[in-house]
Amino acid sequence: MKKIEAIVRHYKLEEVKNALSEAGIQGMTVSEVRGFGRQRGHKETYRGAEYTVDFLPKVKMELVVDDDELTKATETIMKTASTGQIGDGKIFVTDLAEVIRIRTGETGAEAI
Amino acid sequence: MKKIEAIIRHFKLEEVKDALTEVGVHGMTVSEVRGFGRQKGHKEQYRGAEYTVDFLPKAKMEIVVSDEQSQSVIDTILRTARTGQIGDGKIFISNIAEMVRIRTGETGDEAL
Repeated sequence: MKKIEAIVRHYKLEEVKNALSEAGIQGMTVSEVRGFGRQRGHKETYRGAEYTVDFLPKVKMELVVDDDELTKATETIMKTASTGQIGDGKIFVTDLAEVIRIRTGETGAEAI
Repeated sequence: MKKIEAIIRHFKLEEVKDALTEVGVHGMTVSEVRGFGRQKGHKEQYRGAEYTVDFLPKAKMEIVVSDEQSQSVIDTILRTARTGQIGDGKIFISNIAEMVRIRTGETGDEAL
């Protein structure tokens, strides 16, 4: 099993979510995060003083999939979250040692 | 590649971020979290009744770096986030199996 963490733009969330549902991905966790990457945020001017807005708001999606669904999931995210502009975000994939459904105690792929 | 998750005090965030930028970290994601550790939160009194504030607000930083860079990042966080008081937080390190830049589709170290 793999955990996919995708940092995406807010306004892309619905589109990515719908595309993932269509691809058969059945659950996800979303949270509000702030961060920066290569772009280093952007500069803004307020009353003549320039300052850097370095932590930009993004959405983090976390989903857990079976190994054979990984490529489908990352490709779906890539395809729907990409605008071609800097700030599209990143996808991180980690190995997941175990998953347990709290209600039933099912483990592994059954619990996804 | 390694993911470094650091739970730190809010007021240390800027200092840690600046120090990490100096050692060559080019991106990070930050979120507001609540938690407790050994300290189990702390006790407060309100109108004579004592109650425990057990989930204390903290900042979680997530940073993905190459294997070679991970030690210097950990050392930097340790040095800057530490106050010596209980509640300084923790650092968790995990392996990243794959990473994708959403805009370009670059993978692995190129996507860092």
